[in-house]
Amino acid sequence: MTITGEIRSSKRRSGPPRLKITSLEVLCAILVLALLFQSRLVDLLDVPKLRTASTVFVAICVQAMPFLVLGVLISGAIAAFVPASALRRLLPSKTALAVPVAGVAGVALPGCECASVPVARRLMQQGVAPAVALTFLLAAPAVNPIVLVSTAVAFNDTPMMVVARFVGSLLTAMVMGWLWVRFGKMEWIAERALARLGDHSGQNKWAVFAESARHDLVDAGGFLVLGGLFAAAFKTFVPVAWMQTLGGQIVLGVIVMALLAVILALCSEADAFVAVAFSALPLLPRLVFLVVGPAVDVKLIALQAGAFGKSFAFRFAPATFVVAILCAVLTGVVLL
Amino acid sequence: MRRETQNILLVLLGGALLKISFSGLYLRYVQKGLLPLLIAAGAIMIGLALFAIIRDIRAGKAAAAEDDHGHSHSSRSTWLMLLPVLAVFLISPPALGGDVVSSAADTNQTQRSRNLLGELPSGDVIPLSMTEFVTRTAWDESGTLDGRKVKLTGFLTRAEGNTFVARLAISCCAADARPLKVKLTGDVPSLPDEQWVEVTGQVVPKSANEQNSWVPSFTVEASTSVPEPVEPYES
Repeated sequence: MTITGEIRSSKRRSGPPRLKITSLEVLCAILVLALLFQSRLVDLLDVPKLRTASTVFVAICVQAMPFLVLGVLISGAIAAFVPASALRRLLPSKTALAVPVAGVAGVALPGCECASVPVARRLMQQGVAPAVALTFLLAAPAVNPIVLVSTAVAFNDTPMMVVARFVGSLLTAMVMGWLWVRFGKMEWIAERALARLGDHSGQNKWAVFAESARHDLVDAGGFLVLGGLFAAAFKTFVPVAWMQTLGGQIVLGVIVMALLAVILALCSEADAFVAVAFSALPLLPRLVFLVVGPAVDVKLIALQAGAFGKSFAFRFAPATFVVAILCAVLTGVVLL
Repeated sequence: MRRETQNILLVLLGGALLKISFSGLYLRYVQKGLLPLLIAAGAIMIGLALFAIIRDIRAGKAAAAEDDHGHSHSSRSTWLMLLPVLAVFLISPPALGGDVVSSAADTNQTQRSRNLLGELPSGDVIPLSMTEFVTRTAWDESGTLDGRKVKLTGFLTRAEGNTFVARLAISCCAADARPLKVKLTGDVPSLPDEQWVEVTGQVVPKSANEQNSWVPSFTVEASTSVPEPVEPYES
């Protein structure tokens, strides 16, 4: 394969072939170096904390990759098979009304948060209003049936937790959607995120599907790994043992659990089991943990920065964080 | 980054997923049920990359280069996809162990809320999962385990002069690991930390309470060292 490639490229160039370093050569060099220094590398990591961190890092990446792949496949399918006009017909024309529809539509994407980022971006590219796509982005990982069932299993003595989680997360997603309608600015979203796909009318639909999926995967994969790195570092080096001493201090408990949800970056299908374990805390801070986690965490912030640009992520993530805490507290006070 | 490099990275990453799936090493990182998803994800990654490679070859270099300009924003972050590849192929991180048990906040707490237990099996020595043992000692007040001989499998860990047999339970991936701990008394094995053991013995009745985070005590009658199980975590 490479031989034909080289022949072709040397034909195009005039004059003697120059030595040019491209990413391909860099990749080969890294691989060779890594192989040469493998034993050194293994020795270096042979410290209990670093071993734990590397295991958690691989675990987060391995766990999230299938969901990211699911997300890019759906995104590719929307690009190839769902014309923009069909989406417009499906959603109410008034954005403020389309927001709740998008929130409830989140029920249909059974995955964790990594799957919803590429899908939300594709929806925007297909002409769906950003507020609507963002509501879907926040709702999908929190309100889908798999997450609700695992929450019910974890909190089997307090079934109201499932209802509270559903309502709190849906509320967060819709409030963020409406806030975007009121205050959101298109220029925060990186231009490349909204660039419409070229005209594919002449192309094979399956080729469009595969190309869009591949492109999204390459785009998001690196950011997912970045998020995994942060989460593994926080998980390993931030001590959580003192959390049990917070006990009845409800305000502090809420804030600490919200921050913990951000830095642990747990998969939304598993976070309920971790929340159960903080049994010294009342239910409200644990509900905040469950509502904030799927909406904002380091893995998700990295993915959003990759998909929509930094200036978007650094506004959207803090806003979501505050809104999620408020919605969770409100829901918790009413329901729990 | 060039399109070819991206495709190679995708093949490598997909290959890493397939490698840990087929070698069984995935059990160090995620729970059993994720296996079909991992295989599918690995295969799809490789498939997407091969599809692009074949198309590029068919269309010729010129077309591929042109396409590259169309998506020229592909950022440097894509390089990070190499990290999990290197970690899996070169380092192959071990299953979590004692380090997590000692730094966790929530020893045995989770089990307090789970009451989905049936009858104890009959027999002379009952092999029990750590989850079931801890749940029964923490929640079941009727003392069904008292006087019964039980066999537990876990690794050794020590703190403040006490020896524990411990195991981690996960519900999705190793990032959500919860420790299960049982304090050993009696004929405590003098094996090194992190060594996997099978211990046979009896629970000390009513030894799990709120003050010790529901960590029961266990009188060891016999212990043998065993190799690390294929499934290091309970779920």
